[in-house]
Amino acid sequence: MVMTGLGATMVRAGRRLLSSLPALFGVLVFTFLLMRVLPGDPAVFFASGPNAGKEEIEQIRKQMGLNKSVPEQLVFYLSDIGRGNLGRSMMTGQPVLKDLRERLPASLELTLTALLIALIAAVPLGVVAALRPGSIIDHGVRLFCALGVCVPTFVSGLLLIYVFYYLLGLAPDPTGRIDVFTSLPPQRTGFLSIDFLLAGDFEGWWAACKQLALPAVSMALFVIAPLARITRASMLVSLGSDFVRTARSVGLSWGKVVVTYALRNAILPVITIAGIVFSTMLGANVLVEKVFSWPGVASYALDALLSSDYAPVQGFVLLMASLFVLVNLVVDICYGIADPRVSIG
Amino acid sequence: MRFVSFRSAASVLATTALLSIATAPSQAQTRAETLRYVTGASVNTLDPNIPGSTRESFALSMSTYDRLVAFGRKQLNGKWVFDLDTITGELAESYDVSPDGLKLTFRLRKDAKFQDGSPVTAEDVKWSLDRCVTAPILGKAQLLTGSLTSADQFKVIDPLTIEVTLPKPDKLALPNLATVYPMIINSKVAKAHATPDDPWATAWLKEHTAGSGAYVVENFKPGEQVILKRDENWNRGSANKPAFFKRVIVQSVPEPATRANLVERGDADLVVDLQASDVQSLEAKGKLKVISTPQYNAITYVSMNNQLPPFDNVNVRRAIAYALPYDDMFKAALFGRGAPLFGATWPDGNPLNGIYPFQQPVKMDLDKAREYLKAAGLPEGFSTTFSFNVGQSATAEPMAALVKESLAKIGIKVDIQKLPDAQMSTQINEKKLPFFTEGIVAWLPSTDYFYRNFYTGTQRWNYSSINNPELAAIAQEARFEPDKAKYEAAGRKLNAMHFDLMPQIMLWQPNQDAVMAPSIEGYTYEFHRQVDYRDVSRK
Repeated sequence: MVMTGLGATMVRAGRRLLSSLPALFGVLVFTFLLMRVLPGDPAVFFASGPNAGKEEIEQIRKQMGLNKSVPEQLVFYLSDIGRGNLGRSMMTGQPVLKDLRERLPASLELTLTALLIALIAAVPLGVVAALRPGSIIDHGVRLFCALGVCVPTFVSGLLLIYVFYYLLGLAPDPTGRIDVFTSLPPQRTGFLSIDFLLAGDFEGWWAACKQLALPAVSMALFVIAPLARITRASMLVSLGSDFVRTARSVGLSWGKVVVTYALRNAILPVITIAGIVFSTMLGANVLVEKVFSWPGVASYALDALLSSDYAPVQGFVLLMASLFVLVNLVVDICYGIADPRVSIG
Repeated sequence: MRFVSFRSAASVLATTALLSIATAPSQAQTRAETLRYVTGASVNTLDPNIPGSTRESFALSMSTYDRLVAFGRKQLNGKWVFDLDTITGELAESYDVSPDGLKLTFRLRKDAKFQDGSPVTAEDVKWSLDRCVTAPILGKAQLLTGSLTSADQFKVIDPLTIEVTLPKPDKLALPNLATVYPMIINSKVAKAHATPDDPWATAWLKEHTAGSGAYVVENFKPGEQVILKRDENWNRGSANKPAFFKRVIVQSVPEPATRANLVERGDADLVVDLQASDVQSLEAKGKLKVISTPQYNAITYVSMNNQLPPFDNVNVRRAIAYALPYDDMFKAALFGRGAPLFGATWPDGNPLNGIYPFQQPVKMDLDKAREYLKAAGLPEGFSTTFSFNVGQSATAEPMAALVKESLAKIGIKVDIQKLPDAQMSTQINEKKLPFFTEGIVAWLPSTDYFYRNFYTGTQRWNYSSINNPELAAIAQEARFEPDKAKYEAAGRKLNAMHFDLMPQIMLWQPNQDAVMAPSIEGYTYEFHRQVDYRDVSRK
């Protein structure tokens, strides 16, 4: 019974993945065309040596394949993608796939940590606020959330750096994922906090975690608000429903009523929002990545966009689209776990 | 350190104590022997010749590769700057210029070795210079400015002697060999990695080095950091010993405020690209060493397209030149950190000398500006756009607002356009922008070089699109003028024409503000406007 349930979920998940392929293809073509329509010739930008003339520009154009017509370029691009080649970045001089593979774990590690912090903070806050609506606690939570949303992430980031690094000297210098003087663990997952643990290097692990703390917190601050608000709203509905009244009337313990019955039923919309928040965070954490010199994908894409470096931007959009599909799938599967009545299809 | 050991337990304790004492200073020493340099830009290739390479890549290659010759350094207002007129040997032990100026002979150092231990030979030099003028790389356009165009010009005389022949006695031939591009590559190693499609191993050299420079690349993460290790055998420095720092870390930190924090806290040793406001406050605190050098080979302009109406009218250009609030702009954009190129007084109405760039005798004078507008037949003014690129918005944005405000007073309505960098370069290249601000830099700053590259032709760097045959002819002639007095006269003539035609308005030369830990010494402003890690040491 369990096996067939799991099997059916997998089949449905597979079907969902297949049905998202046309959308991914659309994103691919659209981004490709959009980049070509944008004004700005990357060849001119990159031919910026003090003596670069027409010849250099032509040469870069050839190197980037821009000397061909747009439909031809599209065909080449698609066939490259089919072979798993995302092109080469002019900016870093590396294949885009290599750049993204190195930078994605950094962004994922940061975003996941931030989301975890946000959830750990937001769910209890939301629950507490819902248990005493209109009380001083509820207003306190509301104020905290409003502040979190109002302060842009780069301001909170700079503020955290100022206090914890510059004034107190508690945090390590905000330059990337690891102190430059620490040697890196052998790369297994790309998540430094996991790689250090696998290598048994606890000192390194602690260094990586310290490095991660400030950027993750400044990102988390920004997303606590939507998560806490949605938890509060759906807890209120859940607490006012018949089954909670019944559970209370039969004398179940307070904890069991709130956590097992009310919260479990209230968590569905929180998961949905968490999925959406995660996807937006991945793309929108560019400011945090810049402030903390975090070598992630978002700052990479922004730099590429400013210099009209086509391949990295296209690669980034494709990556984000694929991640979005995956995250939605994971969210759907989580639904099934939180509420067995829901099945994805 | 003394201790007496009585029993084994005591001795273990004491040894532990000794060990911990012994390791602590050695760790501190490693930090002292490491230079941590932070920058907003990043290194994207190990071969600066690759199209699209960044300025940081240029600086890096100065330390990983040697060239035949190098620029000396001199003091300018108490600060060390590179000296275009003193050219010393780097891989060359000595060099001769023939009396007619057509032959340069270089004798190589006998003790020079590549980082793999093999000796540097004339064959390697020839291969590297051939590569520079033949392969489709950046060096080609640069060496062209020194009449170095073909592999036939480089001849191996014997394993330690190489001869360079010139079609004309070009003053810039020798300085060109000291620039970033004609670096000397280990030809055996490079050839082993060449392919039929890529005979000059450009793809391999982008990711690897094969040079004889002061530093070996230990770790290269494009866009993030480069870690360099000293080559203990390198002795091309001034004092015949290796470079000072054992390790150099070049790290990208995109946020300028973070860079300022790092250097102030002592975690970074040196930074050259802080915001002017941060430099000012750090200087005021007085804890760090700040060396500000006007970038005397770079200029910031307000440019007008001389081919597009209404800027094709010289009186409109003059009107603009007298309507700009120079002092306010200088303060708002740079906090006055730089050398102004406005507000001179020419007692007899003639240029003070023949050196470009020079201070023009212009200042804000709205009545004069209105007169020029009337003379141009546009007493009511006109509408135009003023563009700058996003990358420069920290300085250009306040400047643009002041330009707009001031020109409004003489009836010129300005729309400010902030363009992404690639879009800005494209429009400049296509000569579509009427009115904008941009900067230039010249590695070999001589008067004729500036006028030939930035005031003639249809290439991107002729921002004003000026097309004046007389100016072009004088500049071209001056290039090969051996007589110093005649060269000076040509320079004066060109400068006078610049003021008369006002093709574009020179604003200032921004400072290079190098902020460093007080222990750092020897910082020199280099032609590539980055730090040469070989210059600096710690006291």
